Amino acid sequence: MKKILFVFALLLTMFVAACQKSDEFNLDAKITVYTRDTTSGTRDGFMSGIGFSEAAKNDSVLVTGFVIRDNTAILNAMTIDEYGVGYISLSSLNDTVKGLHFNGVEPTEANVINNTYQLKRPFMWMIRADGDFPGGANSPVEQLVKAFVAFLGTSDAADIINNAGAIALPTSVTWDSIKNQHPITQQNNSGVTVRFGGSDSIQKVAEALTQAFTAKAGNFVAEHDHTGSGDAWKRTNGDTKDQTVGKDVGFSSRPFTTTESANVTSSQTGQLSWDAIVAIVHLSNPISNITADSLKKIYNGTYGTWADVPQS
Amino acid sequence: MQNVIKKPIQRNKATDLLVHQILKGLAILAASFIFVIAGVILIKGLTPFITNNGGIGSVNAWKFLTGNTWLIGDTFASNLYSVGFIIIQTLYVVSLSLLISFPVGVLTALFIAKIAPKKIAEFLRTVIEILASIPSIIYGLFGAGFILKLVYDFSAILGYQSKGGNSVLSTVIILALMTIPTITTISEVAIRSVDKSLIEGSLALGATETQTHFKVVLSAAKSGIFTSAILGVGRALGEATAVSLVAGSRRSGLSFDILDTTSTLTTTMLEGMKDSAGLDYDIRFSVGIVLMAVILIVNFTLNYIKKKVGQVDVK
Repeated sequence: MKKILFVFALLLTMFVAACQKSDEFNLDAKITVYTRDTTSGTRDGFMSGIGFSEAAKNDSVLVTGFVIRDNTAILNAMTIDEYGVGYISLSSLNDTVKGLHFNGVEPTEANVINNTYQLKRPFMWMIRADGDFPGGANSPVEQLVKAFVAFLGTSDAADIINNAGAIALPTSVTWDSIKNQHPITQQNNSGVTVRFGGSDSIQKVAEALTQAFTAKAGNFVAEHDHTGSGDAWKRTNGDTKDQTVGKDVGFSSRPFTTTESANVTSSQTGQLSWDAIVAIVHLSNPISNITADSLKKIYNGTYGTWADVPQS
Repeated sequence: MQNVIKKPIQRNKATDLLVHQILKGLAILAASFIFVIAGVILIKGLTPFITNNGGIGSVNAWKFLTGNTWLIGDTFASNLYSVGFIIIQTLYVVSLSLLISFPVGVLTALFIAKIAPKKIAEFLRTVIEILASIPSIIYGLFGAGFILKLVYDFSAILGYQSKGGNSVLSTVIILALMTIPTITTISEVAIRSVDKSLIEGSLALGATETQTHFKVVLSAAKSGIFTSAILGVGRALGEATAVSLVAGSRRSGLSFDILDTTSTLTTTMLEGMKDSAGLDYDIRFSVGIVLMAVILIVNFTLNYIKKKVGQVDVK
């Protein structure tokens, strides 16, 4: 009987405790660091965005005692944990948490598109050179790839990109208005295979896009093999383009380097969308702006309390 | 005349034989799944130790079982996995949750079986049965939406800073809530089946009702109550979804602090599985082997203890 009473008493205290709460923000409290799992593309984007790329796939360089949660759970945690810091993709930000300005710029879609908000990375595409597609010049594969690239600039594709959590570039062109320029899409292409590859962070977006596009373009077969941004150029225009791993379309989650762009004409590459990430804290946190350097120092453990973080 | 009678009998016998064979076949099929499942997990789970995992190198089994960090180095590029501390964290969390759910569950069962008026007992029994059938993700959502905040605020008032409530304590509370129905249901059956003559004998000797309940009924039902604890532990050990929403996924360092983050074998297998590939995917099957081994060892130990303590027969 005593045990039951004890448990009831304990539960009661906890309920009462949950009702009261102090509003003081204690700057000397320890920062609780929240992060995504090492397999997450958002983590990759965030860590490289704050100049801490070595933490993208490695937990052991992070501050000890970090908490691993997924996108929604980090958002939810910031409504509870006054002293926490986490990061989510910009498209899931809402007013239950505080999205921090990054290097002085407010995290909004407009600031992402006008290229002032910097905690982001571009999603790029690259295709093979004209006439270098399987089947030679003007082959069905080449025509389908050209049609696909045109599709990427339409509002149909923008909707798919936004639904997948990235931020599409503004456009008002619809697929219906340009599809006549690509007669190949009116045929039955079920025997044609187009090979997609490159960044694994873009795989989800790319698959959503090809799934929608193949239905509009004669049901061609879209083969996805995403191995990393480095392979976007290598397998379409670089040294492995003619091997079995060669691709017709490569995606990259970073801008192409000068070496990569050297043998590629401007019509062969373009930007698909932005992937923007925002650092978030609890609403009661007095901080509203943060720099890449401060975030790195929080995530590697140099800054242990909020008082350590320079206010600007 | 004889032929006319004989034929239907033969036909009936043939039907019986056919039905027997079909049922036998189905039984063998059902039972063989255990071998298929265990076999697949075993083969997949052993590959990280015996192959070189596409150039990454094979995982050291001893370090895997004893290490203090889930993964040292880059995901997809390192073979330094270990679950040593996770095994201990799992057992720690499960025993703490049993510490709450066992007394609460057994005493609830005693109340339902012996003390409550018939109508209330019937009502409570239904409630407990419904609780037992709630899917674990619902418990997880309740944990993420309510227990986390409760634990965070409660510890803040006591002057401790918890990590948004992601802690051993939250995990223990969720697991206790999930195992109480299991423990109650099975304990109640055991308590109800205690021989009436034992109870009447105790009362006739002048013992009060409370004395009889605790000293005679509960000790007579010992064996059944212990079974309920074994099944409760089984449920707690195997729970993944609900726990992963409140545990906080500790990746290194053994900690017994009830407000610090933790992780269990099941959550380690579950988290990040969707985006994983290669060794990082296969190693989850190895964790599965460890989990199955832990469950077997715990079950054998508990059954051994049960044999030692459960001397009184329960009908």
